Amino acid sequence: MNVIVVNTARFVLFVFLQIFIFNQLEFGFGIHLLMCPLYIMLLPFEMNIIILLMIAFGMGIFVDVFSNTYGLHTSSLLLMAYCRPAIFKVFAPRENYDFLKKPTYLDMGHLWFISTFGLLLFIHNLWFFMLEAFSFNGFLYTFQKVVLSFIFIYLVSILLQILLVKRSNK
Amino acid sequence: MQQLIAFFRRFRVFLVFIGLQIFAISTYVQYLSFPNSQYLTSASFVGGKFFGFRYSIMKHFELENSNKKLQDENVRLRKLSLNNLYQVNRYKFHVADTVYEQQYDFISCLIINSNTSKINNYFTLDAGELQGIERGMGVFSQKGVIGVVHNTSPHYSVVKSVLTKDINIDVLVLPIGLYGILKWDGKDPRHGSITGITNDLSIKKGSKVVTRGGAGIFPKGLLVGYVEKLLPVEGKPLWEVVIRFSEDYRRLDRVYVIKNLLMKEQHLLENELQKDNTRQ
Repeated sequence: MNVIVVNTARFVLFVFLQIFIFNQLEFGFGIHLLMCPLYIMLLPFEMNIIILLMIAFGMGIFVDVFSNTYGLHTSSLLLMAYCRPAIFKVFAPRENYDFLKKPTYLDMGHLWFISTFGLLLFIHNLWFFMLEAFSFNGFLYTFQKVVLSFIFIYLVSILLQILLVKRSNK
Repeated sequence: MQQLIAFFRRFRVFLVFIGLQIFAISTYVQYLSFPNSQYLTSASFVGGKFFGFRYSIMKHFELENSNKKLQDENVRLRKLSLNNLYQVNRYKFHVADTVYEQQYDFISCLIINSNTSKINNYFTLDAGELQGIERGMGVFSQKGVIGVVHNTSPHYSVVKSVLTKDINIDVLVLPIGLYGILKWDGKDPRHGSITGITNDLSIKKGSKVVTRGGAGIFPKGLLVGYVEKLLPVEGKPLWEVVIRFSEDYRRLDRVYVIKNLLMKEQHLLENELQKDNTRQ
C-alpha cells in the first residue's frame, strides 16, 4: 500500500515538474531535461514488467499531450521500461537483489547506478533524439544532443534523489 | 490452438511492448504527416485548460514588456491613421469603399505554451474555433511572422511555427524582389535560411525579407527578418541566404491570427484551373 501511494505521488510530481518546469527551461546546445526516465528507474525491483510498460505508457502520454510531441516521450519511455529488467539482470549483485533495497543511487551505490541507469538513459536519449530528428542527416548534432542531455539529466537525477528519496534501513 | 496460446503466453511481454510501441510511433508519424488526429495535442481541452492556468500566473512577469510593445504599436498605428496625415491634394485623396475592400481580418490571441528547442516547435494559442480560427490561417506578431495554424479545438489552437523543419513560407528579399522558400535547420531559434535564390544577383547584407503573400495565408509584406550572410550551395547556381528573424521566438506573448476573407474566392478560381487542366 505504502509503495503504491509513494509511487503515485511521485508520478504526479514527475509529470508536473516535466511539463511545467523542465520543458520550459531552454539551455541551448540541444540540452533537454527529460526527467521521466528517472521515475521509471526508481520503481521497485520486483515490479511486473507488464505493469511497468503500462506505467511508462501512461506517463509518456501525459507528457506528450502537454508538450505537443505526439508520442515521442511515450515511445522512448516504453523502450526504456522494456530494457530495464534485462539490464538489471545483467548488473545483478552476486547474491541477487535484496528486495528491501530500492534501485537508487543511495541504496545500491554509485557504480551500480551509473552502469544501469547510465545505460538505460543512453538508450532512452538515443531513441528519443533519433526519432525526433527522423533522419540520419546531421547525425553529429543529434549525437551532441544525446550526450549533452545525458550529462545534464544524470546530474539532476543524482540531485533529485538526494532531495526526494530516503535511504532504506539496512 | 494450444500452441497459439502457448506462443502468446511465452511472448506476452514482447507483444504488449510491441503493441504499445506501434501505437506511440504511429501517432508520432501520423501527426508529422497528417495533423488530423487531435487527441494527443495541447489543443485538446484538458491540455489547453492547464496551459491557460499556467499562463494566468506567468503573464505577470511579462506585463511591463508587453505594455511597452503595445504602446509602441499604438504609436505606429496612430502615425498611419488618416487624421494625422497632411492631405497634399485635397480633392483626390480619399478612401472610398468601392476602391478598398477589406481583405484581411485579424484576431488577437495570446500564446500560452511555446517551445523553441525542439526540431519541430508548436505553439498553443488561447483562441480556437469559437473565435473563428481555422486550420491554415497565418499567425504573426508585431515584429514578424510566427507560423500557420495547424490544429484547432473549440477553445484552443496549435500553431506550426516558423521553427519547424517543413514550414515552407514563400518569402521575398525586398530591394531586388527575388523570392524563395523559408526553411529552418532545427538548431538556432534566431536564424533561418531561404532556399531557391539564384546567385547571379548580389544581395546586400541587412536587406529586408518579407512574406510574398502568394498562397493567401499571409498578406504581402509582413516582416520575416533581415539577411545576415550568403552561403554558396555546392554544385548549384544558388545562394543559401541566412537570415536573422526579426521576432525573438523565445519571448512571444501577444500575436494576431490572419483571416483572409477572399481566400475562398482565390481557391475557387485556382481549383477551376486544375479542373480545366485535367479536362484537356
